[in-house]
Amino acid sequence: MKTIGLISANYGSSSFGDLLENRTLASLPYGGRYRLIDFALSNMANSGITTVGVIAPYNSGSLIDHIGDGSEWSLGRKNGGLFLMPGSAFGVQSRGSRFLLRDLLKNIKFFERDDADYVIMSGSSDVWNIDFEPLIKQHSKTDKPITMVYKKVPKGEDYHGYFLNIDDSGKVADIRTESFGWSNYFTDCFIVDRDYMLDFMNWFGALEYMDMIEIMRTNMETMDIATFEFKGYLGKIKNPSDFLKVNQAMSDYDIRNEVFCNPERQIYTKTQDEAPVFHLPEADVRNSVISAGCVIEGRVENSIIFRSVYVGKGAVIRNSVIMMHGEIGDGAVLDNVIADKYVKINEGVKLYGGGGEPIIIGKEKTI
Amino acid sequence: MKKKKCIAMLLAGGQGSRLGRLTSSIAKPAVSFGGKYRIIDFGLSNCVNSGIDTVGILVQYKPLILNRYVGTGESWDLAVADGGVHILPPYARETGGEWYEGTADAIYHNIDFIDIYDPENVLILSGDHIYKMDYNLMLQEHLDKESDLTVSVIEVPWEEASRFGIMSTDDQDRITKFSEKPAEPDSNLASMGIYIFSWKALRKALLEDHEDKASSHDFGKDIIPKMLAEGKKLSVYRFKGYWRDVGTVQSYYDSQMDLMDDVENINVFTKDMKVFSNSNMYPPQFLGPDANISNSLICNGCTVYGTVKHSILGSGAVVGAGTVVEDSIVLPNAIVGRNCRITKAIINEGVVVEDNEVVGSEDGEVIVYGQAKLSI
Repeated sequence: MKTIGLISANYGSSSFGDLLENRTLASLPYGGRYRLIDFALSNMANSGITTVGVIAPYNSGSLIDHIGDGSEWSLGRKNGGLFLMPGSAFGVQSRGSRFLLRDLLKNIKFFERDDADYVIMSGSSDVWNIDFEPLIKQHSKTDKPITMVYKKVPKGEDYHGYFLNIDDSGKVADIRTESFGWSNYFTDCFIVDRDYMLDFMNWFGALEYMDMIEIMRTNMETMDIATFEFKGYLGKIKNPSDFLKVNQAMSDYDIRNEVFCNPERQIYTKTQDEAPVFHLPEADVRNSVISAGCVIEGRVENSIIFRSVYVGKGAVIRNSVIMMHGEIGDGAVLDNVIADKYVKINEGVKLYGGGGEPIIIGKEKTI
Repeated sequence: MKKKKCIAMLLAGGQGSRLGRLTSSIAKPAVSFGGKYRIIDFGLSNCVNSGIDTVGILVQYKPLILNRYVGTGESWDLAVADGGVHILPPYARETGGEWYEGTADAIYHNIDFIDIYDPENVLILSGDHIYKMDYNLMLQEHLDKESDLTVSVIEVPWEEASRFGIMSTDDQDRITKFSEKPAEPDSNLASMGIYIFSWKALRKALLEDHEDKASSHDFGKDIIPKMLAEGKKLSVYRFKGYWRDVGTVQSYYDSQMDLMDDVENINVFTKDMKVFSNSNMYPPQFLGPDANISNSLICNGCTVYGTVKHSILGSGAVVGAGTVVEDSIVLPNAIVGRNCRITKAIINEGVVVEDNEVVGSEDGEVIVYGQAKLSI
């Protein structure tokens, strides 16, 4: 059963402040060397999908720079490969919307020109490692045109997005934006028959300003949607606290093995070819993730350090994320801080984020 | 096709038997170095950083991992339309097949390959040296002096000169004498095994050498003495900087320890003339709650729960809790269990060291532990 993929990267979030000033959520650096879209792209590539469209936002510079021709995900191909497609400009309506119908209509040729049976539609801001092959297999056996992927989450937790009410036959009975005690959290990922997708765009074309899930939600009586449960780790990032937490999840043995160290399904990213990390005699690094090219002379605890960061003598970094090319001066102390690329912290500067939201230091700032 | 000013031929076929277990299943240029590199990265990166975009890699001994590693050359920006990397194994002809019998013989067998590119000059490289070098500077000198052959040399301490192939020169840096490991050297300019020949002169020398039944078909032993005797114009190019031949276990170990001990001199990690590699995709390293790492180089994909002192951990290596790794090199994807003691040892690629093992000792020689288990 031929399946193609479509990844939506045309959405942001208003709660990240400086971190998303010049980039989309999809290209937010994550986990020491990744960008969030790496997970969607790798999941597609690892599931044998060789034609992938990416709907890019208007501020797509960092995304295009990162994805390139898609060759890191084996998508630099003659037959199929990567299709980078323009989305519509951000509007108030679309902020946070994953599958804005206007974006899909604008790129309807992507769906028309291929002869695939199915399309897997995915957001680009979750940290997860999923094998789509069982999803495709299950979907090919149902007569339903759509299968939504969900994850059971603890009840009462503050999740942002859609919850599914699933009936005894496994069919979606209702979709809501609040949990209502349901624990079936929609993962921003579904598979759809390509023919049905074209019909859907045709039927609901007048509602192009709406999100596809929103259209489904408000037209439930005409929808026939199957479900597929994802049982692995799902790192959802909706604000800087989540961002820090989902970064720190990389230190969890089980999550690290499941998401990052699965030899069958590696997470690919753009390679930079940095040198190994040099831990000098004074370095003291614990429970942390450090990326290549760093030189460490200070202390690092429960933190994520991206590539080519320098941590000076006597500096202390705790519960923080330091993105690439950061320079942390001698004796500086950072606690609960997220520092964007090329941030410079002068000698002796002390920043404590306290117990609340982390302090965010914008790109290229010096403090 | 555009005529090439200079193409490189990289000799990567030797067994490297002095590296013992390190090369029991892999060609020497493909042996891991500095945690994430393979030895051939230095030669290939030098080529691309010197503007040489066409490289023939002569393989013969266990080339599978090397072939796979080099791939299209893309990792070194050498996947170019009008050149690129070419893996050149021995191949059969109408008269049958022959192995490469020596360094010069290997090039002789690929005269047709070089003729395809019809370069003005050919750079001959070894696949087992650790150094950064701009070959373009050497080529410029070769062209300025209109030499038939330019040999790159490095000044070595006089007391060590008798271990090298020594070039004696006149005041114009023309080579007057070549002596292989002379007992009483009259120069301290050691050949680095890096040559630039004008293709015309080399082509002629190779054809004649092939007919010479007494020849061992080696550049150092046969081709250079022959050209010198014929009065060809041979010059030296004086290279200054870090350069090591890592042909023995000890030199292989020492050169890697230099990455931590001799940071001033060994410049392989600096941004100028960057050394590229074809590394597998690994997540960043994870250092556990009780990890204790000092004065060490740790690569992507490593997981460390124990203590690592003055050591190198290659990509994907694991060090268990309670283990102490000291003055050692753990090659990529090796797994050292819990409560082990690894001292002055090289743990081979992909090897598993069981819990509670003691490997190596402070006073002993550097040992290589285990047979490499290489995965693609």
